[in-house]
Amino acid sequence: MNEDLDKQLRQALRPVDPGEDFTARVLAQISAKPRSLRTHWRRAAWIPAALAASVLLVVAGVYEWQQRQKEAGLAARAQVVEALRVTSQKLDLAYRLINTSSRPPSDRDSGA
Amino acid sequence: MREAVGKLVGILLVLSLASLPVLAAAPPLGQLALPSLESLEPQAKVSVSISLDASLLAVAAQFLDSGQPEDRAVKDVIAGLQGVYVRSFTFDHAFVYPANAIDSLRKQLHTACWQSIMSVRKGKEDSTVDIFICQLQQKARGLAIIAVEPRELTIVNIVGAIDLDKLHRLEGHFGIPRLPEAK
Amino acid sequence: MPDELLAAARAGESDGFAALVRLHQARVFSIALRMLTDRALAEDLAQEVFLQLHHSIRSLDSHQHLVFWLRQVTTRRAIDRLRREHRSETISLDESLGLVAAESDADPLLRQHLQSLIGKLAPMPRAILLLRYQEDLDPLDIAQTLAVPVNTVKSHLKRSLAALRTQLSGLAPIDESGEA
Repeated sequence: MNEDLDKQLRQALRPVDPGEDFTARVLAQISAKPRSLRTHWRRAAWIPAALAASVLLVVAGVYEWQQRQKEAGLAARAQVVEALRVTSQKLDLAYRLINTSSRPPSDRDSGA
Repeated sequence: MREAVGKLVGILLVLSLASLPVLAAAPPLGQLALPSLESLEPQAKVSVSISLDASLLAVAAQFLDSGQPEDRAVKDVIAGLQGVYVRSFTFDHAFVYPANAIDSLRKQLHTACWQSIMSVRKGKEDSTVDIFICQLQQKARGLAIIAVEPRELTIVNIVGAIDLDKLHRLEGHFGIPRLPEAK
Repeated sequence: MPDELLAAARAGESDGFAALVRLHQARVFSIALRMLTDRALAEDLAQEVFLQLHHSIRSLDSHQHLVFWLRQVTTRRAIDRLRREHRSETISLDESLGLVAAESDADPLLRQHLQSLIGKLAPMPRAILLLRYQEDLDPLDIAQTLAVPVNTVKSHLKRSLAALRTQLSGLAPIDESGEA
């Protein structure tokens, strides 16, 4: 009876394919992203000359952004080092706790 | 002027990002939901809160100089990790934090891929260290350390397969203590 | 071959990703369909999962990891959706729902009856049953996929199977919550 039910469940629950249309719809959604950005760029090519000055402002802004990124990167580096330091410290604590409890009493008393 | 430029860059970035679907990724295996423990901060002499996901680790790696042996060693340790999370509190007095502060965390470590690989309790010092590993198909996916000392509470969660041998090579640098040689 | 497809997809090749979708769409769609018992909702959910896969593919380091990820994300999203919407757990016996594979060897009426009964289970036991019998996972793998203790998995499986057996033998209706 158990084997019958197991077999029946496996047969009843064989995967059902949603069809080739499904694949096409997924891929269409994914490929829609870069297409919209490319369209945006083509439109940008027709921006009037008056907006060219804004591009210069953006360049200046990008420099500022890069400086902030550098600060963030250095901060992240410092955090990584600190995190590894704390991790090592606690692993060391675990080792010390094991070590002091496994040493014979005479060693511990000597303060080694 | 600088503020205006910054705002313009911000607006342009938001406009370009708005055309991309924002999909929240499921947390990777080996990542724990750490308790916020914000209530402990006012009582703590020192609080450390570090949350570095894969993208921040990648940023940090860019600022580690491969030409410097120490930086190269750190880069080596974090290569392939998906996250490093630390919460650490140091107090002036003993056991000012509630015993159940990390109950929710301990519950997570009794589910799914997590298994305890070391649990040390030293009654005399009132210190305990529990180390857990998350393993899937014979591959380490995460490490968790809970260290409870009278004046210090520390939680470490590393997502990904950290190589403890490589961590060992960092000792003596960056203030990292020298670990005893493995037996 | 699947590892090569993954490598291609990770390198940004759309053909590689398309092949991965074709390889796994039946799995993902079937889990979604049997959890949500609504074809349109299941298709939406399955599409969301693959879009998320496209976004996260670089974090997957092997085909095994990818399959684990797909099962986990699909079942979790389905469970969240069911809990959020408090969806009714009764389903229609309309065969056009196509909840059961047409080429299945099982008796068609029994197939539909089983599907109806599974649809009455609460989200978690339903997901566990699907991972066991559709995906052929053992309890430990199911526990890892759903991030629950393995004893919880075993307990749910035992109760669900007992309830199914009882219902199939015509002795008593299955509890609506699917819980013992």
